[in-house]
Amino acid sequence: MKNIVAFWGYPDPEILKNEIAKNPNCEIIDLDVDYGYPISGVMCEAYCKIIANIMNNAIFLRDKIKVIVASIGKEKCDSGHIAAILLKDMGFNVIETKYETYSHKASPTVISESNLPLKDKIDLIMQGVYKKNNLTLTPAVPEVGFWGVPPNDFELLELFPDSTHVFGWTRCVEANRPADLELEMMVNPNLPTVFFTQTFCAKMQLAKYLADKYNGLFIDVDDKVNKSAKAKIEAFIKLR
Amino acid sequence: MTKLLLDAGTTWSKIMELSKDGSFSDFFVEYEAHSQDVFDQNGNTLFSKSYLLPSKVLRKLPVQFDFATGHMVQNLLKEDSVYTNEIIALAYGSMKLVPELQNATVLDIGSRDAKWIRFKDGKYCDLDWNSACASSTGATVEMLCKFYDINTDDLSFVDEKYSLTCGIFGMEKIMDDIAKGQSAEVCISKYIHGLASNMWNFAKRPEEIYLSGGFCQNQCFVESLGKYCKVTPLGRNVLLMGLF
Repeated sequence: MKNIVAFWGYPDPEILKNEIAKNPNCEIIDLDVDYGYPISGVMCEAYCKIIANIMNNAIFLRDKIKVIVASIGKEKCDSGHIAAILLKDMGFNVIETKYETYSHKASPTVISESNLPLKDKIDLIMQGVYKKNNLTLTPAVPEVGFWGVPPNDFELLELFPDSTHVFGWTRCVEANRPADLELEMMVNPNLPTVFFTQTFCAKMQLAKYLADKYNGLFIDVDDKVNKSAKAKIEAFIKLR
Repeated sequence: MTKLLLDAGTTWSKIMELSKDGSFSDFFVEYEAHSQDVFDQNGNTLFSKSYLLPSKVLRKLPVQFDFATGHMVQNLLKEDSVYTNEIIALAYGSMKLVPELQNATVLDIGSRDAKWIRFKDGKYCDLDWNSACASSTGATVEMLCKFYDINTDDLSFVDEKYSLTCGIFGMEKIMDDIAKGQSAEVCISKYIHGLASNMWNFAKRPEEIYLSGGFCQNQCFVESLGKYCKVTPLGRNVLLMGLF
């Protein structure tokens, strides 16, 4: 039985909303997330883990997925576009969307600046792609910045204090402007910031550049966060 | 009563025993490296003995530690022990050993990885740790020397070097050159020079490096690194010094 509306990245909100409304009994699944499903074997061994998640999840759930709303514009990446083409070719029902130009201003980024644990902040922001929340949140005086995309392994986020402010693509998602590169490059220059990307992601280029520019810490992690990456973040936060 | 400190590396473990009254345990007698007076954070003098032993031996000893760092600490810690990650231990240890440290990079090379921390105006500024692919470090050199039956003291600096962007390719070059008739000593020296060049690049090409770890005792490595920057060896106990 097909009972899943799947998506990745930040698809056009109207199109995703319509698909969810058309399928009220379906579960909504973000294919970017690592659910631990088997490796499909269709991906190269060395590739962005998030794109690998998309393919592995989709292929494992293929009998249950009714529709995939795929983000293929500048708000995602070329690999996301190619993933959509491949899944279409495999027979999935894929709706391709782009969400890269905006008539609205950036929405307030209260979650990014709240005192929630960093993992909860990022969870809430990403849920906001398909489910808006009306929580009242307390702002935090920032001690550290986290710049980047939601990592494949959320264990990495547990190293940060609750006062961490979120920047980069994740903040752009909360601002409802996921392809706004100017906003993505904005950081608090006075804040020690960890610039995180998934290994093999095009955003590595941006993260490295910004880390050098603002004397932050550049970290790229492939699959699970390893001991040295954790030690580097811990040392950076403690010694700064 | 003494306090036991451990830097448990992949192949070698460094241990320090701290005592207020000069009495020590006999756990590590056969491995005693040297004794010295050290100072705690309050400036109090402590007697210390430090030991160096293979990590595989350490795991067989009936002893647990009060303060520790390193890869191999599992099941070796007391319940109320304090664990400090290697980079933080390196930072604290180097500041303790070199109080005048202002603008310099401290590089620690272990058996399978390397890490560095840079200070600017006496404060932490930048760091990195390459645990995923060290392009060969201490363990590889030890294995090469064992395989070719060479004492590292017999190796001399050579101006030529192998590119060690990939350690495996570097090993291949050793074998090629030995097959062409070059001595194993010269080939391993070229390999060590390549490693030194790699480490200097990894540490972002500083003008001065304070060196930590077993390579401080490898003159060929120290001279090779000295081709690129000023080198001050700090010895093998820098991380231990950062634990108290």
